[in-house]
Amino acid sequence: MDLLQRFTHGEIDAFETLVRQFQGDIYGWIVRIVRDPGTAEDLTVETLWRVYRARHRFRPDGNFGAWARRIATNLAIDHLRRNRPEQSFPMEPAGVPQPDPLVQRETQERIQQAFRRLPAKLQVAAMLALVEELPYDEIASALGTSMGAVKLRVFLAVCILRRRLSRAGIRPE
Amino acid sequence: MTEPDDRQLRDALKQSFPPVKTELRRDLWSDVLRRLDYHPIRVPWYDWALVGLSAAMLLAFPRLFLVFAYHL
Repeated sequence: MDLLQRFTHGEIDAFETLVRQFQGDIYGWIVRIVRDPGTAEDLTVETLWRVYRARHRFRPDGNFGAWARRIATNLAIDHLRRNRPEQSFPMEPAGVPQPDPLVQRETQERIQQAFRRLPAKLQVAAMLALVEELPYDEIASALGTSMGAVKLRVFLAVCILRRRLSRAGIRPE
Repeated sequence: MTEPDDRQLRDALKQSFPPVKTELRRDLWSDVLRRLDYHPIRVPWYDWALVGLSAAMLLAFPRLFLVFAYHL
């Protein structure tokens, strides 16, 4: 019996082998979305726990890595939803030059905050496409959706973000 | 939205979210096991020592089996 079959039968040794093989990939994927190593580790453990609990639903001829990554993505989206900042940031007059590094840092924080206030699914698509520059088909596979849907999410994220930043007087340089 | 606008926003996002290290710092298997609450049966070393000693005694003094049988 091969490794994936043994895993679906609940053999803990087979699961341990899979954990050691895929934990790095799952962690790497999650940390790109949540941007915090501690949180990413917790979510990786949670993902692997859910993978084990859902083992009966996995087909042994399927792609274990892609399946685990999809579970990880859903967990990361749930995490972003739970930790979405509630308050908006204060307004500032538009078009103010900001050469001071401290002010620039503050601007970056405000952009982060505006980004984190986007709906979680838009955040994930935009983060992976714009910041991480990952291919759309890879993002679509992890989100369990089409490439068209990912492109639409990125477009919406950009529109909302641009409007919010403009309203707050922040112009990306 | 124009292409330069898009690039500006992308650059601003990249500056706001600097690259993260994607390498895992430690093995998470023990954490996963704890999460699963899976406890493999572990025999402590002194139990193995006791079994070994008993076996050696039985081999050396077969008649001790009767004493064991009596106490069991």
